[in-house]
This record gives sequence, C-alpha cells and structure tokens, in this order.
Amino acid sequence: MNFYLKYFIIAIGLFAFSGFFALFGVYAERKVSAFIQDRLGPTETGKYGVLQTVADVLKLLIKELIVPAAADKLLFMLAPAIIFIAVYMGFAAIPWAPGIAPSNLNLGLYYIFAILSIETLGILMAGWGSNNKYSILGAMRSAAQIISYEIPAGFAIISVVMIAQTLNLQTISVQQGILSTEKASFLGIWDVSGHGGILAWNIFRAPHLIIAFVIYFIASLAESNRAPFDIPEAESELVAGFHTEFTGMRFAFVFLAEYSMMFLVSMVGVILFLGAWNTPLPNIGSVRLADWTTGAAWGILWTVIKVLLLVGVQMWIRWTLPRLRVDQLMNLCWKVLTPLAFLCMLVSGIWRLWVM
Amino acid sequence: MTMAQALFYLMAFIALASALFVAASKSLVRSVFMFFVTLMALAGLYVLALADFIAITQIVIYIGGILVLILFAFMLSGRETLANLQQQDNRFISIGKLPALLLAVVFFMVMINILFKTDVNHLLWLSKAIAHKNVFSPSDATVSNIGINLMTRYLLPFEAMSILLMMALIGAAHLSRKEKKA
Repeated sequence: MNFYLKYFIIAIGLFAFSGFFALFGVYAERKVSAFIQDRLGPTETGKYGVLQTVADVLKLLIKELIVPAAADKLLFMLAPAIIFIAVYMGFAAIPWAPGIAPSNLNLGLYYIFAILSIETLGILMAGWGSNNKYSILGAMRSAAQIISYEIPAGFAIISVVMIAQTLNLQTISVQQGILSTEKASFLGIWDVSGHGGILAWNIFRAPHLIIAFVIYFIASLAESNRAPFDIPEAESELVAGFHTEFTGMRFAFVFLAEYSMMFLVSMVGVILFLGAWNTPLPNIGSVRLADWTTGAAWGILWTVIKVLLLVGVQMWIRWTLPRLRVDQLMNLCWKVLTPLAFLCMLVSGIWRLWVM
Repeated sequence: MTMAQALFYLMAFIALASALFVAASKSLVRSVFMFFVTLMALAGLYVLALADFIAITQIVIYIGGILVLILFAFMLSGRETLANLQQQDNRFISIGKLPALLLAVVFFMVMINILFKTDVNHLLWLSKAIAHKNVFSPSDATVSNIGINLMTRYLLPFEAMSILLMMALIGAAHLSRKEKKA
C-alpha cells in the first residue's frame, strides 16, 4: 500500500506545485509587462502587490459558473479539465534532481511529447463546445498552429536523442555532468569528463544543438500559444479565442494549464539542452566547484533557476514582439524552422558517428 | 485477481463501452470525442501487454494526428452540413444495415470459434519462449530492440511504407496546389 501512497503524495505535490507556479507566474507576468511598458503593475494588494494573484484566485473561486444556453454542455464542462490534465500528466516523467523523478520512464521524452498533443484535443473540445464563432476560430487556429509546430520541435528533440542515444530523461540528464560514466567532450575535441559544469551541457557537447535549442524554444512558444504566436486568442480579433465563454474555475483551469505548459516546455528544454539538474560550475584543478554543487537539493535548485530563466525569456518575448500574422507563422514554420531542424538531425548523425 | 488483471478488465470494459457509444451515438462530434476515450483505453491495454512504445505511438498518431484532423474537418464543414449528415435513418436494425449485421455476426462467430479452439494458457510458442528465457520484463527498454529489428529484419516493409507515405504527401501537395492561370 505504501507503494501507491507514495505516488498519490507525489501527484498531489505536483498539482500543488503547478498551482503555486501559476500564482507566481501570473504575478511575475504582470510585473514584467509593467516593467517593459514602463508602468507599475499591481501595487495595492499586499506589499508590492504580491497578494494580487491570491485575490484574483479568490475572486475566480466565488464567481458563478455560466454555461451558455446553446453550448454542448458536456463538452463545454469537460474541456478545461482535459486541457489541464494533459499538461499535468506531462510532469509525471520529468526528473528534478539526481535520483529524484516522479517516474523514471524508459520512454519519458516520447511520453511527454505524446501527452502534450492531447492538449490540442481539449482546445478543440472547448472551441466546439462553446458554440461560438470566436471560440471555434480560435480553437482551429490553435490546432493548426500546434500541429505545424510539433514538426520542427520533434526534429529538434530527435537531434538531441541521436546524440544522447536514449529516451530516458534521467539518463539524458546524467550524461550532461560529472556523474556521467561515459566520455563527454567540449565541442567534440576537449575531454571534460572530470570537469563537468557548463562545458558538458548538450549544447556544448555538440554545438549544432544551439540551433536545435532555438528551434525548440520557438516551437514551444507556439505550442503553448504565447505571443508572438498567440493568434488563437488574439484579443483584437477573437475576443479571447477558445476560452471566450469560460468563467470562474473553468477559466482558472485554462490559465493553470497555460502556465503549467510554460513551465513544462521550459523544463524539457532545460533537460534536453541546458544540462538538466547539473551545475553550471566546472571543476577547475583542485577547486572542485562541480563536486561541491551536485546533489539532490542542489539539483532541484539548479533546475528551478534554469527553468525560471527560460520562463522569464518567454515573458520578455511576449511583451516585446508583436503578434505574427497567420501566413508569416506558417512561413516561419515550414520554410525556416523545419528545414533547419532537418539539417540539425543530419549533423547530429554525422557528429555521433565521427566526432563523439 | 491481481492488479494487472483488474486493470485489464477495466480498460477492456471502457474500450468496448466507449466503442459502442461511438457507433450508436447520434451526435457525430460527441462520438469523435468518445473515440478519444476508446483510443486511450486501447493505449492502456498496450501498456499492460508491455508494448509501451506502441501505446505512446498510438497516442501520438491517432489522438494527436488523426482525431484532431477529423475534428478539423468537422469544424470546417460547419453545423448545417453536420445536421444534414445526422438526419439519416438512425434505427439500430433496418433492411439497409442487413449486410453489415450479417458480416458482423459471421466475424463474431469466427472469433468465438478461435477462442474456444485454442488453449490460450498453454500455447506452444509461449511455453517455448518461457523455457528459453526469451521474454521481456516490465523494466526492459523496448525501443532499441524495435529500432534494430526495423533496420535489419523488416527493412523492406519499412522502406515500402515510407514510399507509400511519400506518395500520399506528394499527392496531397499536388491536389492543394493552385492552378497557374494560362
């Protein structure tokens, strides 16, 4: 029974974490946008407005749940749950620190890729269930965008898998630091197995993965429907896209899913390209910085720092770049990112065969 | 009953019940969403059979790809067209459905027949595999095995399939291309 109890506790913990992260994320988003647009952002509720999102959540909790008269009630009510659960299930396979992962799956990476594609179905369900032109248009735009951008993202991921030779996220993480049992070399020439740190991260073990990382990052922005790829919820044309009709907790679940998705795609990016839970500090001679800063607690710290940096970049991009038009969006995907991702995959093969 | 057996019966029940709903429901869109439940239950059955790679591939291709495409077609066609489609004779048994019913009954008889004729618990190849320790354990990685087999033993079918998909792609691109104005 203890075996199952452990998994229940982990699942509840992850749910609590995604809730807290959404609270923090919304507050950070508002402060970052305020800074970029030279405003102050929330200031009234609590010191520096830190309680603003808590107040927002309380408001959402006591709001009335409205189901439009013409909506398909079942689909309308189930959609936010499916959108959120699809993202939440992705957290099951992600390692946080050496030896600490909710589930150490052999196929962890592939599993996450598959589970995230269910989110599209939830969005289509919300769009159809609302029975509203804006919602349907938003849902269709979102589905078209996510399906298209899955291709460059997939090939960027494959080029990492070809270097790492495994789909197990924990193994991929271990390979990028001093705990690795195989040889790691910086840029393919300098053996850094004993040094570790930033030198052994995937993007430096095989430098073409820097391009793959940029491709993955852009595609992940599109998959989480964030600006500059937010035509699914373009407020100037579609009111709010697929979640126009949602109120109260249902709306909160859609938002929770968006912020969890931001965290999840950043975390996958960190694990695949930026050394996962490994420290960025290398061993230099007798100063064993990497040895000192590796461990379970350190691992969680490094993961969170790296992921929050990436989430910060996502917010920075959202409030800096204008929205892409739909033809520009598809041009970028099919004519720029996809060929580049194919090229990365080719180079990965060559790199694995002749350089590593 | 072990945990695995209980899970098997649960998944099998969900798969069958939701598949029945898909076939019998009057609302086309709802039956597509119910098909999602069927596919997830099937993926669960694959996992119980230690075919985890197949399970995840099923989710990627059928749910992430085909189901979303079907829904896409529905949304492009609009509610009026769908309503026309649903205006068919929806009685469960009718003269138009006789051939299908016949086929289904015959097929069911064949399956029942096979089920009773084979001794499932003492299959020859199964006991041979167990005797030779040629079995998978739940923690084994199946991907490398699949990859090696695809690239050696099943290379020809694999390549033939890739050519078929290529033909489909080229055909789709040709159909959707705008004609040049002469």
